Amino acid sequence: MKSNTTRAVRIITGNQAAALAAKNAKVRVVAAYPITPATPVVEELSKMVETGEMKAHFILVESEHSAMAACIGASAAGSRTFTATSSHGLAYMHELLHYATNARTPVVMAVANRAIGPGWNIWADLSDSISQRDTGWMQFYCSDNQEIYDTIIMAYRIAEHRDVLLPAMVCYDGFVLSHTAMPIEITDVNDFIDEYHPVWRLDFDEPSTHGNILPPDYFMELRREVCEAHERALKVMKEVEREFYEYSGRLTPLILEEYRLEDADVAMVTMGAISSEAKIAVDELRKRGVKAGLLRLKAFRPFPKQEVVEKLGSVEKVYVFDRSVSPGFDGQLFSELKAVLWDLRSPPEVYGRIVGLGGRDVTSRVFEKAVLGELDKKWVMEVIY
Amino acid sequence: MGEKLGKKWEIRFHGRGGQGAVTASKILAEAAYLSGFEAQSIPFFGAERRGAPVMAFTRVSYEAIHERSQVYTPDYVIVLDPIILDAVDVFRGLKDGGSIVINTVKSPMDFQFEQGSLLVATVDATGIAIKNNLLVAGTPVVNMPMLGAFLKIFSHIELETLEEVVMKKFGKNGKANVAAVREAYESTVVEKVRGSGKPSTEDVRRKRAVTMPVSTPSPGVAGRTRFWRDFRPEVDYDVCSNCLSCWLHCPESAIQRVGSRIEIDYEFCKGCLVCSAVCPKKAIRVSREVVV
Ligand code: SF4
Ligand code: SF4
Repeated sequence: MKSNTTRAVRIITGNQAAALAAKNAKVRVVAAYPITPATPVVEELSKMVETGEMKAHFILVESEHSAMAACIGASAAGSRTFTATSSHGLAYMHELLHYATNARTPVVMAVANRAIGPGWNIWADLSDSISQRDTGWMQFYCSDNQEIYDTIIMAYRIAEHRDVLLPAMVCYDGFVLSHTAMPIEITDVNDFIDEYHPVWRLDFDEPSTHGNILPPDYFMELRREVCEAHERALKVMKEVEREFYEYSGRLTPLILEEYRLEDADVAMVTMGAISSEAKIAVDELRKRGVKAGLLRLKAFRPFPKQEVVEKLGSVEKVYVFDRSVSPGFDGQLFSELKAVLWDLRSPPEVYGRIVGLGGRDVTSRVFEKAVLGELDKKWVMEVIY
Repeated sequence: MGEKLGKKWEIRFHGRGGQGAVTASKILAEAAYLSGFEAQSIPFFGAERRGAPVMAFTRVSYEAIHERSQVYTPDYVIVLDPIILDAVDVFRGLKDGGSIVINTVKSPMDFQFEQGSLLVATVDATGIAIKNNLLVAGTPVVNMPMLGAFLKIFSHIELETLEEVVMKKFGKNGKANVAAVREAYESTVVEKVRGSGKPSTEDVRRKRAVTMPVSTPSPGVAGRTRFWRDFRPEVDYDVCSNCLSCWLHCPESAIQRVGSRIEIDYEFCKGCLVCSAVCPKKAIRVSREVVV
């Protein structure tokens, strides 16, 4: 593909970036229900559909459960489909999230991450999407608005790939990204992404049944196939990432991003918006003579086991920061990291910190202090500046 | 009981939905328990409807039973329905030297199998059920006579113990069932039969990879369902107005439009009689299926 892209920089919010990405990715069906902080995505899309700027059907629904049901139906009928939600809305979709996976419908969804109540809270917290971890959706966590735009577009290329056929969530911290405006390049992606050509679709002329009974003799095959599709997705992600780089000139990571990790003794591991703050901490720590580095996980599912082990194989200490928690255990990213590093002959020491729940601000000082051993508790309650 | 430690028997029932295989497996377990054994009864629930092939299992043991899985290599097989022999390999996994009880008018020598030898017991349980008026919705219920036949080759449970359980279970129908149990016990023919002794190597059942949960229409997705049929619907074309109501309602799509009329495909018709119930002209006659 040529890199004859039309560059146009605009200062927009994460939500606007998500809506524009959906439009430019040639989404033809949108079914969504508003919920803070994802509402502006839904508003933008309905406006663009209404004015004809976006050639898509906008399906009005009465709940998120219906929104996802409509997305699955539209996708099965052969349309590129998009939705956006958050928090309770995502939780309400739960049953159908599983459905979309087993049905192999490559729906892409934007999730503006928000805490789940009560203790009504509309602010940033990854608990909503992390608790959908086992639904079989691919999950990408963004750390700036450009990434939201790029990732939604690339997500369709991955999700619809013949070797994958899985739905994908593109997640970004509520308000911290969803409502924060920053300059982003709205690359024309016309030549990067074609109209959707489904491998299979519901068709009146060739009728078929979708989601028929699958007895014990067959069900496990179906589930294994879903898991293998996740493994294949990692390979496809690498290809799409490179292709998008050649096309747009931007290296937007799909699997992980590393920062000053090559010679690091101490590694921080993060996901989402807080990763940017962690980069500041890396620089500060280096100034003080601590060889710190950062590993930001972009993909949480599929989890890039091999890549993480390679990157962290030679560090002495790992600090994992979770903006979510599994009550009764630990931060989820922390748990996954320990499981993965267990494969190493001499694994590094791994520490977990819970930060920023329900929108509590996370500054670079938190990461610095944790690495310097000044925050020895699992829970980081204070806002440090 | 020292020498009996570890002794255990596994029994597999084959029948069709509605014939009472599951009930039989449970009553056998109860009779075994009353006789001092540990016992277990497992129904296998597939997507069965009335008439579809079903299985059930009973384990009888001197010791606590820890298995929770199905029975794959039974010591005994009980076949409640002769028609099922066409559709299901009832000999599968049966231990060489084991036993099988079949509801049939044929004799033990008429059966072939891959085991070296088996004890084959035959009984006309259908005839006995009809004679004793054990009918539900017109269908002979053969499960109790089949247990009577089973005890002929399984000596660890007394006939009286089984009769006691049957009596309790069936209340006012207890007497008829007990009579059938006894009659079956007495009329069962048992013979040691030699088989080919050449088991086919490995299970060759191949599984299609299931990538998409999509199925395209094909006649009889549940297999050839003709043998599920206890009743046979027949269209009286002199009365039929070709309204297509039956064609629309048949759950197996066993009614086809052929030229200017409808026809029932008896390979796939399972005898549910939905067609007869929805016909506004009462043009669909129902008769008992003739078993060959
Ligand atoms: S009995 Fe009638 S409705 Fe039922 S399967 Fe047969 S043809 Fe169809
Ligand atoms: S429902 Fe009765 S009248 Fe109508 S087509 Fe069927 S058999 Fe004929």
